[in-house]
Amino acid sequence: MALEFFLLDVILWFAIYLIIVLSLNIEYGYAGIPNFGRAMAALVGAIAVGYGVNHLLMLILGINGEIIEASGTVKSTVNVMISQNPLLGMGILLFSLLIAALMGAAAGVLFILPSAKLRHDYLAITLLAISEVVYQVSNYNTSIIGGYYGVSVPDIMAWVPGERRFFAFALLGMGVALLVFLFVEKLLNSPYGRLLKAMRENEDVVAAFGKDILVLRIKTAAIGSGIAAMAGALYSLFSVNVIASTFFRVEWTFFPFLMLLLGGMGNNRGVALGVLSFVLGKIFLTVYKFEIASILRLPFEATWLEYILFGVLMLLILYYRPDGLIREKPVMTPEIKRMLKKKSIKEQR
Amino acid sequence: MAVLEGAIVYSNLLVLLGIGLTITYITTGVPNFAQGSMAVCGSYLSMTLWLTSGLHPYYSLLFSFIIGGGIGVGIYAFVLRPLVRKEATVVTLMIATLAVDLILLGILGAYSETLADLTKKATKKFIFTPMDFNLFGYDAILVISSCIILLLLLILFFLLYRTRFGIALRASMENPALAGIMGVDVEHTRLFSWFLSGSLAAVAGSMLPFRQEIVPVTGTLIIVSIFAASIVGGLRSIYGALAGGYIIGISESLVTFYLSIALGPGVLVYGKVVSLIVLVIALIAAPMGIAGLGIWRSKRWRWNSSS
Repeated sequence: MALEFFLLDVILWFAIYLIIVLSLNIEYGYAGIPNFGRAMAALVGAIAVGYGVNHLLMLILGINGEIIEASGTVKSTVNVMISQNPLLGMGILLFSLLIAALMGAAAGVLFILPSAKLRHDYLAITLLAISEVVYQVSNYNTSIIGGYYGVSVPDIMAWVPGERRFFAFALLGMGVALLVFLFVEKLLNSPYGRLLKAMRENEDVVAAFGKDILVLRIKTAAIGSGIAAMAGALYSLFSVNVIASTFFRVEWTFFPFLMLLLGGMGNNRGVALGVLSFVLGKIFLTVYKFEIASILRLPFEATWLEYILFGVLMLLILYYRPDGLIREKPVMTPEIKRMLKKKSIKEQR
Repeated sequence: MAVLEGAIVYSNLLVLLGIGLTITYITTGVPNFAQGSMAVCGSYLSMTLWLTSGLHPYYSLLFSFIIGGGIGVGIYAFVLRPLVRKEATVVTLMIATLAVDLILLGILGAYSETLADLTKKATKKFIFTPMDFNLFGYDAILVISSCIILLLLLILFFLLYRTRFGIALRASMENPALAGIMGVDVEHTRLFSWFLSGSLAAVAGSMLPFRQEIVPVTGTLIIVSIFAASIVGGLRSIYGALAGGYIIGISESLVTFYLSIALGPGVLVYGKVVSLIVLVIALIAAPMGIAGLGIWRSKRWRWNSSS
């Protein structure tokens, strides 16, 4: 039972983090935009569910009142409806992912605008600052997603019996993550993906070829943030509530960067490997938290130790293996392959 | 009046943090995301000294200065210098400072809980306000923090413009490569800047509990204001950081206060939103900050062409 639980935990977190890190790979790994505000996009996804979907359901069901109490009523009413009609649950899932993606993309565009034409350091600082402020506002303001009280979210798996729910959700999460993976792979293995890599390497050259760096950055931020918001929405649907404080910068910005650099940026297979290794380590630490604390006789919570360990790991990666576990390979389009072949034939003559 | 005093105290602390951030940015080229946590190290140091030996926080400023400087030098020497030598990009260096921030956060959290375990006192959250006294009719924190700013400016001015080391320092700030060719040891100036940055941060951190409650994550929360102050100042000018610190500090405290009179006390928690708005306006209107505005440019150009 314990092993089963461990595996399901790994699968679910692998799915959620894979989506987040893929989005970061588009923005930072491919386009070189250091989005230190990744947590903001995930939080926007959670807001899309906690505020958007909840308000819509309140409107449909005719429930009035403050979001904190009303969301509880919505949850209990809708749960009953879903347990009779599984399709409604799927509908809510698709709708949530859709509006999360739209809101995430809108937020990504809006918040990159002030610094979109500035250098990378300014961009990083501004995105981090905006992310922190959005986090604080949604933590204090109880009318958006209930602040530190949080709001409830309907259980889209209410038709699955209690003990199977985790299993069903891990499967569902994995399915969504796989679709996102295929989409991102398709998206980046295209002229657009190669253009992003070119921009990462040298913006001036890209600009000289007539591409607008500003527009490219904004477009990429929209796609990246939209995908990241879907991860936030998925997590909220799984935990059946939304609390702003769970979208802490460490968990949703720093850890994704760690996974991206661990796996190797600029290639999606590396990303998947990085996410898997990190999630295994993290879940292991979380599961054996109390054992570790008691064996080492720590007088403090093991979370702090986890922070120190992951911080040190990041520094070690940056110093010893900046390319990650799987190195980025040169782009091989059919055209390039043909030219290489021609060249080698010429050399043979 | 008390609100204005509080705003000035807060601005003074932001100036200390902003100057520290700016000076390491100039010499090393990396915005230090650990600046807030470096400050909170100073807060915990003062709290520990007060708890263990009854030393009043104002006396522990000296210890903060030295130990904070040590932390700053340590971060540069053990984390950033090896990366700089491997020609890491700015973003890599920024990620490294984020990692340092996380390590410091972990250490602070672990330390505060260990201390609470040892002393059986609540040390995770603390505030120094009840320990403050009256000096010349004002809160001592106002007088002391303002004196520290004045002292710092005098020392910096003397150091930068009246000593050989200052000339070397300014040269390596303007153009490190050229300064290196002219025989300036750029490494010394970088170590010095990180010492100064760490010590100013810790000193500011020692005084911060007189204004707000400190928890281990305080550093990650104040970083928004610190960066806003530096960017409004232009990120490349010490005087810019001075002006930026006051602009952000005053607007964050006073604007929020007057808005709360107009709109109700609920607004008070949105101080950081005000900093962010000022930051965004600055980025759009004057991306190079106050120090980069046209009024200075003509003067500098003339100075350049005559020399």
